[in-house]
Amino acid sequence: MEKDDVLTFAGREFRSRLIVGTGKYPDYRSMQRAHEASGAQIVTVAVRRVNLDRTRESLLDYIDTAKYTLLPNTAGCYTADEAITTALLAREVGLSDLIKLEVIGDQRTLFPDNEDLLKATKVLVKEGFVVLPYTNDDPVMAKKLEEAGAAAVMPLGAPIGSGLGIRNPYNIKIILEMVRVPVIVDAGVGTASDAAIAMELGCDGVLMNTGIAGAKDPVAMAEAMRHAVIAGRLAYLAGRIPKKLYATASSPVEGMIE
Amino acid sequence: MELTINGKRRDVQQGATIAAVLDELRIDPLRVAVQLNLEIIKRERYAQTTLHAGDRLEIITFMAGGSG
Repeated sequence: MEKDDVLTFAGREFRSRLIVGTGKYPDYRSMQRAHEASGAQIVTVAVRRVNLDRTRESLLDYIDTAKYTLLPNTAGCYTADEAITTALLAREVGLSDLIKLEVIGDQRTLFPDNEDLLKATKVLVKEGFVVLPYTNDDPVMAKKLEEAGAAAVMPLGAPIGSGLGIRNPYNIKIILEMVRVPVIVDAGVGTASDAAIAMELGCDGVLMNTGIAGAKDPVAMAEAMRHAVIAGRLAYLAGRIPKKLYATASSPVEGMIE
Repeated sequence: MELTINGKRRDVQQGATIAAVLDELRIDPLRVAVQLNLEIIKRERYAQTTLHAGDRLEIITFMAGGSG
């Protein structure tokens, strides 16, 4: 791959186009090894109350912040106000203005509440945040988020943790045509081919958590995802052949043995 | 005096500062954010911010989790 093919948003450059999560791993040690195997440079983390009884280890002992950029998220927030407060707290913890903005609208599907998402995006952009909103695969919404100042848009491939893959590749394709900011598929990736499809469509990156953490062997799946994202990106840059209904012979028809 | 820390009642020394409470709880101030009665307190103010009985303190950090 070309050396200068990097994921860029808000003036930051990343060689890896895979963003990974920290939830649902069997333990922190396997999470750490999966992060290494994934080749990711950005790791998303939740923002929660400190555990006062100190029986559990700290996540931050298992993420080398000199090596990984932390991307705090507002997972679990159901209103714009909750998400804004969570983002402000995240900035105090990490002293970074990056935020993966989630405003959930429904508990069963974890689909975003786009109305509050847009509201929170506007407020946080004004507060100086680099906002990466998790949204539906809705091109009009993606456009509105871009206009509101989002640094990238993160449409879902399928519901969070569902592993259903890229359910509407045509919408993702339209989003890619409609916005200029990076498009990072967030949620739905179940296996390597799903990640490759997202990248082949021309997406700038893929974020996944459950697809790796929930696999029987998270470290092996992390490595598979690393290859899938690279392969998908290369295939996109290489330019695939058009699909045709009938065969086209790849060997010459002249000189056949009679 | 009694405070509410992360939703639970807790006794701390009269006139304690945020820095003192974090120290007592063995919490690294560089890894948390603190909200006092819903107001976010900047890290550099922990040592000067004195707490009062009944104050509600939220101590927030990064945890495992997030979508995808």
